[in-house]
Amino acid sequence: MYKFVDLKPFRKPVFLKQIHRRTLCLEKEEMGEDEQQEVGYQIDLGNLTAFDPHHQFSSVPDNREDLVKECIAHGTKLIQAVADALFNLPSTEDASGPIVSLPPPSTKLPREKPLPKPKPPTKWEVFAKKKGIQNRKKDKLVYDEQTSSWKRRHGYDRVNDDNDIPIIEAKMTDEPGVDPFAKRRSEKKQRVEKQEKNRLHNLKEASKVGALPSHVQLAATALPITGTQTAPRKVSKDELQNVAGMAATSTASGGKFDKKLAGEKPPKHEKKYRKFLPVVEGSGMGSLEKQQSDKILNKLMAKNSHEILNVGKAVDMYNAKSDKKRRNQQGKSSSTSSKLKVKKSPYKNASKKKSSSKGKSK
Amino acid sequence: MRPLDESETTQVFEKLFKFTGNNLKNIVESPSHEGPDQTPGRYCFRLHKNRVYYVSESLVKRATNIKRENLVALGTNIGKFTKSGKFHLTIQALNLLAANAKHKVWLKPTSEMSFLYGNDVIKGGLGRITDNINAYDGVVVFSMSDVALGFGIAAKSTQDCRKMDPNGLVVIRQADTGEYLRNQEDL
Repeated sequence: MYKFVDLKPFRKPVFLKQIHRRTLCLEKEEMGEDEQQEVGYQIDLGNLTAFDPHHQFSSVPDNREDLVKECIAHGTKLIQAVADALFNLPSTEDASGPIVSLPPPSTKLPREKPLPKPKPPTKWEVFAKKKGIQNRKKDKLVYDEQTSSWKRRHGYDRVNDDNDIPIIEAKMTDEPGVDPFAKRRSEKKQRVEKQEKNRLHNLKEASKVGALPSHVQLAATALPITGTQTAPRKVSKDELQNVAGMAATSTASGGKFDKKLAGEKPPKHEKKYRKFLPVVEGSGMGSLEKQQSDKILNKLMAKNSHEILNVGKAVDMYNAKSDKKRRNQQGKSSSTSSKLKVKKSPYKNASKKKSSSKGKSK
Repeated sequence: MRPLDESETTQVFEKLFKFTGNNLKNIVESPSHEGPDQTPGRYCFRLHKNRVYYVSESLVKRATNIKRENLVALGTNIGKFTKSGKFHLTIQALNLLAANAKHKVWLKPTSEMSFLYGNDVIKGGLGRITDNINAYDGVVVFSMSDVALGFGIAAKSTQDCRKMDPNGLVVIRQADTGEYLRNQEDL
Protein backbone atom coordinates (compact mmCIF):
# COMPACT_ATOMS: atom_id res chain seq x y z
CA MET A 1 0.00 0.00 0.00
CA TYR A 2 1.39 3.28 -1.04
CA LYS A 3 1.00 6.38 1.00
CA PHE A 4 1.07 9.89 -0.22
CA VAL A 5 4.02 11.64 1.19
CA ASP A 6 2.92 15.17 0.60
CA LEU A 7 -0.28 16.19 2.26
CA LYS A 8 -0.65 19.71 0.90
CA PRO A 9 -4.09 20.14 -0.63
CA PHE A 10 -3.26 20.29 -4.32
CA ARG A 11 0.27 19.09 -4.66
CA LYS A 12 0.62 15.47 -5.51
CA PRO A 13 4.03 13.82 -5.58
CA VAL A 14 5.62 13.55 -8.99
CA PHE A 15 5.99 9.80 -8.92
CA LEU A 16 2.25 9.37 -9.13
CA LYS A 17 2.47 8.54 -12.80
CA GLN A 18 4.82 5.72 -12.16
CA ILE A 19 2.37 4.03 -9.84
CA HIS A 20 0.55 1.17 -11.36
CA ARG A 21 -2.81 2.34 -12.36
CA ARG A 22 -4.80 -0.55 -11.04
CA THR A 23 -3.51 -0.10 -7.53
CA LEU A 24 -4.22 3.57 -7.72
CA CYS A 25 -7.81 2.77 -8.31
CA LEU A 26 -7.91 0.69 -5.19
CA GLU A 27 -6.19 3.43 -3.30
CA LYS A 28 -8.78 5.92 -4.13
CA GLU A 29 -11.32 3.83 -2.43
CA GLU A 30 -9.18 3.17 0.60
CA MET A 31 -8.18 6.74 1.12
CA GLY A 32 -8.44 8.37 4.41
CA GLU A 33 -10.34 11.51 4.98
CA ASP A 34 -7.36 13.77 4.59
CA GLU A 35 -6.84 12.64 1.09
CA GLN A 36 -10.50 12.73 0.17
CA GLN A 37 -10.28 16.24 -1.07
CA GLU A 38 -7.36 15.34 -3.24
CA VAL A 39 -9.10 12.62 -5.13
CA GLY A 40 -12.63 13.84 -4.72
CA TYR A 41 -12.69 14.65 -8.41
CA GLN A 42 -15.93 14.09 -10.16
CA ILE A 43 -15.03 12.21 -13.29
CA ASP A 44 -17.52 12.15 -16.13
CA LEU A 45 -16.20 9.58 -18.56
CA GLY A 46 -19.02 10.10 -21.05
CA ASN A 47 -17.79 13.65 -21.64
CA LEU A 48 -14.14 12.80 -20.75
CA THR A 49 -14.03 15.48 -18.07
CA ALA A 50 -12.95 15.71 -14.44
CA PHE A 51 -14.19 18.33 -12.02
CA ASP A 52 -12.60 19.28 -8.74
CA PRO A 53 -15.28 20.79 -6.48
CA HIS A 54 -13.00 21.32 -3.51
CA HIS A 55 -10.36 23.37 -5.17
CA GLN A 56 -9.17 26.50 -3.39
CA PHE A 57 -6.25 28.74 -4.05
CA SER A 58 -4.23 28.82 -0.83
CA SER A 59 -2.84 32.15 -1.96
CA VAL A 60 -3.81 33.86 -5.14
CA PRO A 61 -0.58 34.50 -7.04
CA ASP A 62 0.16 38.06 -8.03
CA ASN A 63 0.97 37.88 -11.68
CA ARG A 64 -0.84 36.10 -14.41
CA GLU A 65 1.97 33.75 -15.40
CA ASP A 66 2.17 32.18 -11.98
CA LEU A 67 -1.57 31.82 -11.90
CA VAL A 68 -1.45 30.12 -15.27
CA LYS A 69 1.29 27.78 -14.12
CA GLU A 70 -0.66 26.77 -11.07
CA CYS A 71 -3.79 26.15 -13.04
CA ILE A 72 -1.92 24.06 -15.56
CA ALA A 73 -0.35 22.01 -12.80
CA HIS A 74 -3.71 21.34 -11.25
CA GLY A 75 -5.21 20.67 -14.61
CA THR A 76 -2.65 17.95 -15.32
CA LYS A 77 -3.78 16.20 -12.19
CA LEU A 78 -7.33 16.25 -13.33
CA ILE A 79 -6.37 14.94 -16.72
CA GLN A 80 -4.38 12.21 -15.05
CA ALA A 81 -7.44 11.18 -13.13
CA VAL A 82 -9.44 10.98 -16.32
CA ALA A 83 -6.76 8.89 -18.00
CA ASP A 84 -6.63 6.54 -15.07
CA ALA A 85 -10.36 6.03 -15.08
CA LEU A 86 -10.25 5.51 -18.84
CA PHE A 87 -7.69 2.78 -18.59
CA ASN A 88 -9.73 1.04 -15.98
CA LEU A 89 -12.62 0.47 -18.31
CA PRO A 90 -12.91 -2.98 -19.90
CA SER A 91 -11.28 -2.79 -23.33
CA THR A 92 -11.52 -4.85 -26.48
CA GLU A 93 -8.49 -5.51 -28.59
CA ASP A 94 -8.31 -4.05 -32.06
CA ALA A 95 -5.68 -3.74 -34.78
CA SER A 96 -4.77 -0.18 -33.71
CA GLY A 97 -4.93 -0.82 -29.96
CA PRO A 98 -7.39 -1.35 -27.10
CA ILE A 99 -10.82 0.11 -27.70
CA VAL A 100 -12.98 1.26 -24.82
CA SER A 101 -16.65 2.13 -25.03
CA LEU A 102 -17.42 5.16 -22.91
CA PRO A 103 -20.33 5.12 -20.48
CA PRO A 104 -23.13 7.65 -20.99
CA PRO A 105 -22.26 11.12 -19.65
CA SER A 106 -23.31 11.95 -16.13
CA THR A 107 -23.16 15.76 -16.24
CA LYS A 108 -26.36 17.37 -17.32
CA LEU A 109 -25.80 20.15 -19.84
CA PRO A 110 -28.18 23.12 -19.77
CA ARG A 111 -30.91 23.46 -22.35
CA GLU A 112 -30.04 25.03 -25.65
CA LYS A 113 -33.47 26.40 -26.36
CA PRO A 114 -36.08 27.57 -23.85
CA LEU A 115 -38.76 25.22 -22.58
CA PRO A 116 -41.66 24.81 -24.97
CA LYS A 117 -44.72 26.74 -24.02
CA PRO A 118 -47.78 24.74 -23.02
CA LYS A 119 -50.21 24.41 -25.90
CA PRO A 120 -53.63 25.95 -25.44
CA PRO A 121 -56.34 23.28 -25.55
CA THR A 122 -58.01 22.79 -28.91
CA LYS A 123 -61.68 23.39 -29.50
CA TRP A 124 -62.42 19.71 -29.27
CA GLU A 125 -60.41 19.31 -26.08
CA VAL A 126 -62.36 22.10 -24.44
CA PHE A 127 -65.63 20.54 -25.49
CA ALA A 128 -64.59 17.05 -24.40
CA LYS A 129 -63.53 18.29 -21.03
CA LYS A 130 -66.78 20.08 -20.53
CA LYS A 131 -68.87 17.06 -21.50
CA GLY A 132 -66.59 14.58 -19.81
CA ILE A 133 -65.91 12.61 -22.99
CA GLN A 134 -63.11 10.11 -22.65
CA ASN A 135 -60.77 9.26 -25.45
CA ARG A 136 -61.17 5.60 -26.44
CA LYS A 137 -58.54 3.76 -28.38
CA LYS A 138 -59.77 2.42 -31.73
CA ASP A 139 -58.60 -0.76 -33.38
CA LYS A 140 -57.15 -0.76 -36.83
CA LEU A 141 -59.19 -3.77 -37.92
CA VAL A 142 -62.95 -3.91 -37.63
CA TYR A 143 -65.12 -6.96 -38.21
CA ASP A 144 -67.38 -6.49 -41.17
CA GLU A 145 -70.63 -8.52 -40.88
CA GLN A 146 -71.54 -8.30 -44.50
CA THR A 147 -68.42 -9.94 -45.78
CA SER A 148 -67.70 -11.67 -42.40
CA SER A 149 -64.11 -10.61 -42.54
CA TRP A 150 -61.81 -8.25 -40.79
CA LYS A 151 -61.46 -5.07 -42.70
CA ARG A 152 -59.40 -2.08 -41.88
CA ARG A 153 -61.05 0.96 -40.43
CA HIS A 154 -59.44 3.53 -42.77
CA GLY A 155 -57.95 3.28 -46.22
CA TYR A 156 -58.31 0.84 -49.10
CA ASP A 157 -61.22 -1.56 -48.88
CA ARG A 158 -62.44 -0.10 -45.64
CA VAL A 159 -65.42 -0.93 -43.51
CA ASN A 160 -68.48 1.27 -43.97
CA ASP A 161 -67.12 2.94 -47.08
CA ASP A 162 -69.45 5.72 -48.12
CA ASN A 163 -68.98 5.11 -51.85
CA ASP A 164 -69.90 1.45 -51.64
CA ILE A 165 -73.54 1.87 -50.71
CA PRO A 166 -75.58 0.71 -53.72
CA ILE A 167 -79.09 1.61 -52.58
CA ILE A 168 -80.28 4.34 -50.28
CA GLU A 169 -83.85 3.91 -49.16
CA ALA A 170 -85.99 6.98 -49.38
CA LYS A 171 -87.34 8.32 -46.12
CA MET A 172 -90.60 10.15 -45.58
CA THR A 173 -88.74 13.40 -45.02
CA ASP A 174 -86.93 13.22 -48.36
CA GLU A 175 -88.02 15.53 -51.13
CA PRO A 176 -88.40 13.98 -54.55
CA GLY A 177 -85.75 15.13 -57.01
CA VAL A 178 -82.98 15.35 -54.44
CA ASP A 179 -80.07 13.01 -55.15
CA PRO A 180 -79.22 11.30 -51.81
CA PHE A 181 -75.78 10.28 -53.05
CA ALA A 182 -74.88 13.83 -53.98
CA LYS A 183 -76.28 14.96 -50.68
CA ARG A 184 -74.00 12.57 -48.84
CA ARG A 185 -71.02 13.76 -50.77
CA SER A 186 -71.73 17.43 -50.08
CA GLU A 187 -72.30 16.71 -46.42
CA LYS A 188 -68.95 15.01 -46.21
CA LYS A 189 -67.32 17.94 -47.93
CA GLN A 190 -68.86 20.30 -45.42
CA ARG A 191 -67.61 18.20 -42.54
CA VAL A 192 -64.12 18.22 -43.96
CA GLU A 193 -64.21 21.97 -44.41
CA LYS A 194 -65.42 22.48 -40.89
CA GLN A 195 -62.63 20.32 -39.60
CA GLU A 196 -60.05 22.28 -41.56
CA LYS A 197 -61.45 25.52 -40.19
CA ASN A 198 -61.17 24.20 -36.67
CA ARG A 199 -57.62 23.06 -37.27
CA LEU A 200 -56.59 26.47 -38.49
CA HIS A 201 -58.32 28.10 -35.58
CA ASN A 202 -56.43 25.90 -33.16
CA LEU A 203 -53.16 26.77 -34.83
CA LYS A 204 -53.95 30.43 -34.60
CA GLU A 205 -54.67 30.14 -30.93
CA ALA A 206 -51.44 28.30 -30.41
CA SER A 207 -49.44 30.82 -32.39
CA LYS A 208 -50.91 33.64 -30.32
CA VAL A 209 -49.36 32.10 -27.24
CA GLY A 210 -46.24 31.16 -29.15
CA ALA A 211 -46.75 27.42 -28.86
CA LEU A 212 -46.91 26.47 -32.54
CA PRO A 213 -45.70 22.95 -33.32
CA SER A 214 -42.15 23.19 -34.67
CA HIS A 215 -42.85 21.95 -38.20
CA VAL A 216 -45.53 24.59 -38.65
CA GLN A 217 -43.23 27.20 -37.17
CA LEU A 218 -40.50 26.37 -39.67
CA ALA A 219 -42.97 26.40 -42.54
CA ALA A 220 -44.16 29.83 -41.59
CA THR A 221 -40.90 31.47 -42.59
CA ALA A 222 -42.38 34.90 -42.34
CA LEU A 223 -42.60 34.50 -38.61
CA PRO A 224 -39.37 34.77 -36.64
CA ILE A 225 -38.12 31.51 -35.17
CA THR A 226 -38.08 31.57 -31.43
CA GLY A 227 -34.80 32.81 -30.10
CA THR A 228 -33.73 34.91 -33.09
CA GLN A 229 -35.38 38.12 -34.19
CA THR A 230 -34.76 38.78 -37.89
CA ALA A 231 -35.73 42.33 -38.73
CA PRO A 232 -38.13 42.56 -41.67
CA ARG A 233 -36.35 43.88 -44.78
CA LYS A 234 -37.32 47.44 -45.58
CA VAL A 235 -38.04 47.95 -49.26
CA SER A 236 -36.88 51.34 -50.51
CA LYS A 237 -38.97 53.63 -52.65
CA ASP A 238 -36.81 53.12 -55.73
CA GLU A 239 -36.96 49.37 -55.41
CA LEU A 240 -40.70 49.49 -55.10
CA GLN A 241 -40.96 51.72 -58.16
CA ASN A 242 -38.76 49.42 -60.16
CA VAL A 243 -40.67 46.36 -59.20
CA ALA A 244 -44.00 48.07 -59.76
CA GLY A 245 -42.87 49.13 -63.23
CA MET A 246 -41.71 45.66 -64.10
CA ALA A 247 -44.92 44.14 -62.86
CA ALA A 248 -47.03 46.63 -64.76
CA THR A 249 -45.35 45.95 -68.09
CA SER A 250 -45.18 42.20 -67.72
CA THR A 251 -48.53 41.57 -69.35
CA ALA A 252 -49.10 40.29 -72.86
CA SER A 253 -49.45 43.75 -74.37
CA GLY A 254 -46.81 45.43 -72.27
CA GLY A 255 -49.25 47.01 -69.84
CA LYS A 256 -50.79 49.31 -72.44
CA PHE A 257 -54.42 48.39 -71.93
CA ASP A 258 -54.45 47.96 -68.17
CA LYS A 259 -56.78 50.09 -66.16
CA LYS A 260 -54.84 52.85 -64.51
CA LEU A 261 -55.13 53.34 -60.78
CA ALA A 262 -56.53 56.52 -59.25
CA GLY A 263 -53.37 58.51 -58.74
CA GLU A 264 -51.22 56.94 -61.43
CA LYS A 265 -49.61 59.32 -63.89
CA PRO A 266 -49.75 58.56 -67.61
CA PRO A 267 -46.55 57.12 -69.05
CA LYS A 268 -43.95 59.68 -69.96
CA HIS A 269 -43.57 58.47 -73.56
CA GLU A 270 -46.75 57.30 -75.19
CA LYS A 271 -45.49 55.31 -78.12
CA LYS A 272 -42.15 53.85 -79.11
CA TYR A 273 -39.46 56.02 -77.60
CA ARG A 274 -35.99 56.50 -78.94
CA LYS A 275 -33.70 58.85 -77.15
CA PHE A 276 -31.28 60.87 -79.27
CA LEU A 277 -28.44 63.15 -78.36
CA PRO A 278 -29.00 66.89 -78.86
CA VAL A 279 -28.20 68.16 -82.35
CA VAL A 280 -25.98 70.96 -81.23
CA GLU A 281 -24.08 70.61 -78.03
CA GLY A 282 -25.44 73.01 -75.46
CA SER A 283 -23.15 75.05 -73.27
CA GLY A 284 -24.35 73.52 -70.03
CA MET A 285 -23.59 69.83 -70.14
CA GLY A 286 -20.46 67.98 -71.13
CA SER A 287 -20.05 66.53 -74.56
CA LEU A 288 -22.12 63.38 -74.61
CA GLU A 289 -21.63 62.91 -78.30
CA LYS A 290 -17.87 63.04 -78.01
CA GLN A 291 -18.03 60.47 -75.22
CA GLN A 292 -20.21 58.19 -77.25
CA SER A 293 -18.10 58.34 -80.36
CA ASP A 294 -14.93 57.91 -78.35
CA LYS A 295 -16.32 54.87 -76.66
CA ILE A 296 -17.26 53.28 -79.95
CA LEU A 297 -13.94 54.20 -81.51
CA ASN A 298 -12.00 52.63 -78.67
CA LYS A 299 -14.04 49.50 -78.82
CA LEU A 300 -13.39 49.21 -82.53
CA MET A 301 -9.68 49.83 -82.15
CA ALA A 302 -9.41 47.32 -79.39
CA LYS A 303 -11.21 44.71 -81.43
CA ASN A 304 -8.73 45.13 -84.26
CA SER A 305 -5.67 45.77 -82.15
CA HIS A 306 -4.12 42.54 -83.34
CA GLU A 307 -3.79 44.08 -86.76
CA ILE A 308 -1.93 47.14 -85.56
CA LEU A 309 1.40 45.40 -85.40
CA ASN A 310 2.17 44.16 -88.87
CA VAL A 311 4.16 41.07 -88.05
CA GLY A 312 4.97 40.24 -91.62
CA LYS A 313 6.38 43.67 -92.26
CA ALA A 314 8.44 43.54 -89.09
CA VAL A 315 9.91 40.20 -90.08
CA ASP A 316 10.72 41.41 -93.57
CA MET A 317 12.42 44.51 -92.26
CA TYR A 318 14.50 42.43 -89.92
CA ASN A 319 15.46 40.03 -92.69
CA ALA A 320 16.40 42.86 -95.01
CA LYS A 321 18.62 44.38 -92.36
CA SER A 322 20.44 41.13 -91.71
CA ASP A 323 20.85 40.55 -95.45
CA LYS A 324 22.39 43.96 -95.86
CA LYS A 325 24.79 43.37 -92.99
CA ARG A 326 25.95 40.15 -94.58
CA ARG A 327 26.38 41.83 -97.94
CA ASN A 328 28.38 44.64 -96.37
CA GLN A 329 30.71 42.19 -94.75
CA GLN A 330 31.19 40.39 -98.04
CA GLY A 331 31.64 43.72 -99.75
CA LYS A 332 34.44 44.69 -97.34
CA SER A 333 36.26 41.53 -98.10
CA SER A 334 35.92 42.23 -101.85
CA SER A 335 37.52 45.69 -101.27
CA THR A 336 35.79 48.23 -103.47
CA SER A 337 36.37 51.85 -102.68
CA SER A 338 33.76 53.16 -100.34
CA LYS A 339 33.49 56.36 -102.35
CA LEU A 340 32.25 54.47 -105.38
CA LYS A 341 29.74 52.54 -103.44
CA VAL A 342 26.29 53.96 -103.33
CA LYS A 343 25.58 54.99 -99.77
CA LYS A 344 22.24 53.79 -98.70
CA SER A 345 20.95 54.97 -95.34
CA PRO A 346 19.68 52.03 -93.31
CA TYR A 347 17.02 54.22 -91.77
CA LYS A 348 15.02 54.78 -94.91
CA ASN A 349 11.41 53.72 -94.72
CA ALA A 350 11.38 50.05 -95.53
CA SER A 351 7.83 50.08 -96.85
CA LYS A 352 8.61 52.79 -99.36
CA LYS A 353 11.53 50.79 -100.60
CA LYS A 354 9.39 47.75 -100.82
CA SER A 355 6.44 49.21 -102.63
CA SER A 356 8.68 50.96 -105.11
CA SER A 357 10.57 47.77 -105.77
CA LYS A 358 7.30 45.90 -106.22
CA GLY A 359 6.03 48.53 -108.58
CA LYS A 360 9.15 48.26 -110.70
CA SER A 361 8.87 44.53 -110.88
CA LYS A 362 5.35 44.85 -112.26
CA MET B 1 -31.15 66.33 -88.52
CA ARG B 2 -29.91 64.45 -85.54
CA PRO B 3 -26.72 62.89 -84.29
CA LEU B 4 -26.23 59.20 -84.80
CA ASP B 5 -27.17 56.85 -82.01
CA GLU B 6 -24.87 54.12 -80.79
CA SER B 7 -25.74 51.35 -83.18
CA GLU B 8 -25.63 53.69 -86.15
CA THR B 9 -22.29 55.11 -85.07
CA THR B 10 -20.82 51.64 -84.75
CA GLN B 11 -21.93 50.79 -88.26
CA VAL B 12 -20.45 53.94 -89.75
CA PHE B 13 -17.19 53.58 -87.90
CA GLU B 14 -16.81 49.98 -88.87
CA LYS B 15 -17.28 50.77 -92.53
CA LEU B 16 -14.79 53.59 -92.32
CA PHE B 17 -12.36 51.46 -90.40
CA LYS B 18 -12.20 49.01 -93.27
CA PHE B 19 -10.66 51.71 -95.41
CA THR B 20 -8.72 53.79 -92.94
CA GLY B 21 -7.65 51.47 -90.17
CA ASN B 22 -6.15 53.40 -87.28
CA ASN B 23 -6.43 56.67 -89.16
CA LEU B 24 -10.07 56.61 -88.18
CA LYS B 25 -8.95 58.50 -85.13
CA ASN B 26 -7.86 61.36 -87.35
CA ILE B 27 -11.23 61.47 -89.03
CA VAL B 28 -13.25 61.44 -85.86
CA GLU B 29 -11.14 63.77 -83.81
CA SER B 30 -9.77 66.22 -86.31
CA PRO B 31 -10.29 69.86 -85.38
CA SER B 32 -12.03 71.86 -88.03
CA HIS B 33 -10.59 74.96 -89.63
CA GLU B 34 -13.76 76.19 -91.18
CA GLY B 35 -16.00 79.05 -90.31
CA PRO B 36 -15.47 82.45 -88.79
CA ASP B 37 -15.72 81.24 -85.21
CA GLN B 38 -12.90 81.80 -82.81
CA THR B 39 -12.78 78.23 -81.59
CA PRO B 40 -14.12 76.00 -84.30
CA GLY B 41 -15.26 72.72 -82.91
CA ARG B 42 -14.51 69.35 -84.35
CA TYR B 43 -16.04 67.40 -87.13
CA CYS B 44 -19.07 65.36 -86.31
CA PHE B 45 -21.54 63.08 -88.01
CA ARG B 46 -25.15 64.00 -88.47
CA LEU B 47 -28.02 62.06 -89.88
CA HIS B 48 -30.52 63.77 -92.13
CA LYS B 49 -33.08 61.86 -94.17
CA ASN B 50 -31.12 58.62 -93.86
CA ARG B 51 -27.94 60.23 -95.15
CA VAL B 52 -24.88 60.62 -92.99
CA TYR B 53 -23.00 63.90 -93.26
CA TYR B 54 -19.55 64.76 -92.02
CA VAL B 55 -19.82 68.36 -90.82
CA SER B 56 -17.98 70.74 -88.61
CA GLU B 57 -19.80 71.73 -85.48
CA SER B 58 -19.92 75.40 -86.37
CA LEU B 59 -21.79 74.52 -89.55
CA VAL B 60 -24.22 72.35 -87.65
CA LYS B 61 -25.08 75.16 -85.34
CA ARG B 62 -25.99 77.35 -88.25
CA ALA B 63 -27.84 74.63 -90.06
CA THR B 64 -30.26 74.23 -87.19
CA ASN B 65 -31.86 77.45 -88.32
CA ILE B 66 -33.10 75.85 -91.50
CA LYS B 67 -36.36 73.96 -91.59
CA ARG B 68 -36.06 70.25 -91.83
CA GLU B 69 -37.94 69.97 -95.13
CA ASN B 70 -35.93 72.76 -96.67
CA LEU B 71 -32.53 71.43 -95.66
CA VAL B 72 -31.07 69.44 -98.53
CA ALA B 73 -27.55 68.63 -97.42
CA LEU B 74 -24.80 69.90 -95.22
CA GLY B 75 -21.09 69.33 -95.04
CA THR B 76 -19.88 66.19 -96.80
CA ASN B 77 -22.24 63.32 -97.40
CA ILE B 78 -20.30 60.18 -96.66
CA GLY B 79 -22.96 57.56 -96.95
CA LYS B 80 -26.52 56.56 -96.44
CA PHE B 81 -28.57 54.07 -94.50
CA THR B 82 -30.68 51.73 -96.54
CA LYS B 83 -34.30 50.88 -95.79
CA SER B 84 -33.17 47.79 -93.88
CA GLY B 85 -30.79 49.75 -91.71
CA LYS B 86 -27.49 48.91 -93.38
CA PHE B 87 -24.91 51.59 -94.07
CA HIS B 88 -23.29 52.10 -97.49
CA LEU B 89 -20.49 54.53 -98.28
CA THR B 90 -21.08 56.79 -101.24
CA ILE B 91 -18.63 58.39 -103.63
CA GLN B 92 -18.71 61.71 -101.82
CA ALA B 93 -16.71 60.12 -99.05
CA LEU B 94 -13.78 59.72 -101.43
CA ASN B 95 -11.88 62.79 -100.31
CA LEU B 96 -12.07 61.78 -96.70
CA LEU B 97 -11.05 58.22 -97.41
CA ALA B 98 -8.25 59.10 -99.78
CA ALA B 99 -6.62 61.33 -97.19
CA ASN B 100 -6.62 58.59 -94.58
CA ALA B 101 -6.45 55.41 -96.58
CA LYS B 102 -4.51 52.44 -95.32
CA HIS B 103 -4.45 50.39 -98.51
CA LYS B 104 -4.03 51.97 -101.90
CA VAL B 105 -4.03 50.73 -105.44
CA TRP B 106 -2.67 52.65 -108.44
CA LEU B 107 -4.07 52.05 -111.89
CA LYS B 108 -2.31 52.17 -115.22
CA PRO B 109 -3.46 54.98 -117.49
CA THR B 110 -5.05 52.50 -119.88
CA SER B 111 -7.38 51.03 -117.33
CA GLU B 112 -8.42 54.28 -115.68
CA MET B 113 -11.26 54.82 -118.11
CA SER B 114 -12.52 51.32 -117.63
CA PHE B 115 -12.70 51.84 -113.90
CA LEU B 116 -14.46 55.16 -114.27
CA TYR B 117 -17.09 53.53 -116.40
CA GLY B 118 -17.97 51.29 -113.53
CA ASN B 119 -15.95 48.16 -114.20
CA ASP B 120 -13.90 46.29 -111.62
CA VAL B 121 -10.11 46.36 -111.67
CA ILE B 122 -8.33 43.42 -113.28
CA LYS B 123 -4.77 42.53 -112.69
CA GLY B 124 -3.69 43.72 -116.08
CA GLY B 125 -4.72 47.23 -115.17
CA LEU B 126 -2.90 47.28 -111.86
CA GLY B 127 0.02 49.66 -111.62
CA ARG B 128 1.02 49.55 -107.99
CA ILE B 129 -0.43 48.05 -104.88
CA THR B 130 0.41 48.53 -101.21
CA ASP B 131 1.77 45.66 -99.25
CA ASN B 132 -0.08 43.49 -96.80
CA ILE B 133 -3.54 43.82 -98.14
CA ASN B 134 -5.75 41.02 -96.93
CA ALA B 135 -8.63 39.73 -98.95
CA TYR B 136 -11.81 41.79 -98.66
CA ASP B 137 -10.05 44.82 -97.22
CA GLY B 138 -11.16 48.29 -98.15
CA VAL B 139 -8.96 49.79 -100.83
CA VAL B 140 -8.81 53.29 -102.39
CA VAL B 141 -8.07 53.43 -106.10
CA PHE B 142 -5.74 56.11 -107.48
CA SER B 143 -4.45 56.96 -110.89
CA MET B 144 -0.70 57.02 -111.49
CA SER B 145 -0.71 60.76 -110.90
CA ASP B 146 -2.15 60.22 -107.43
CA VAL B 147 -5.62 61.40 -108.24
CA ALA B 148 -8.24 59.52 -106.29
CA LEU B 149 -10.61 57.72 -108.60
CA GLY B 150 -12.78 55.70 -106.28
CA PHE B 151 -12.76 52.90 -103.78
CA GLY B 152 -13.61 49.25 -103.51
CA ILE B 153 -12.93 45.95 -101.87
CA ALA B 154 -9.77 43.96 -102.52
CA ALA B 155 -10.72 40.62 -104.02
CA LYS B 156 -7.41 38.99 -103.22
CA SER B 157 -4.50 39.63 -100.89
CA THR B 158 -1.34 41.18 -102.21
CA GLN B 159 0.46 37.83 -102.33
CA ASP B 160 -2.33 36.22 -104.31
CA CYS B 161 -2.42 39.16 -106.66
CA ARG B 162 1.10 38.43 -107.80
CA LYS B 163 0.33 34.85 -108.57
CA MET B 164 -2.90 35.57 -110.44
CA ASP B 165 -3.38 35.50 -114.18
CA PRO B 166 -3.63 38.93 -115.83
CA ASN B 167 -7.38 38.79 -116.31
CA GLY B 168 -8.20 38.06 -112.71
CA LEU B 169 -10.25 40.40 -110.58
CA VAL B 170 -8.24 42.47 -108.10
CA VAL B 171 -10.57 45.15 -106.79
CA ILE B 172 -14.33 44.99 -106.69
CA ARG B 173 -15.49 48.51 -107.39
CA GLN B 174 -17.81 50.10 -104.85
CA ALA B 175 -17.76 53.74 -105.95
CA ASP B 176 -15.94 55.76 -108.58
CA THR B 177 -15.91 59.40 -109.62
CA GLY B 178 -17.76 58.52 -112.83
CA GLU B 179 -20.85 58.23 -110.68
CA TYR B 180 -21.05 61.96 -110.47
CA LEU B 181 -22.13 61.87 -114.09
CA ARG B 182 -23.98 58.59 -114.15
CA ASN B 183 -26.02 58.85 -110.97
CA GLN B 184 -26.60 62.55 -110.78
CA GLU B 185 -30.11 62.15 -109.46
CA ASP B 186 -29.21 59.81 -106.65
CA LEU B 187 -26.56 61.97 -105.06
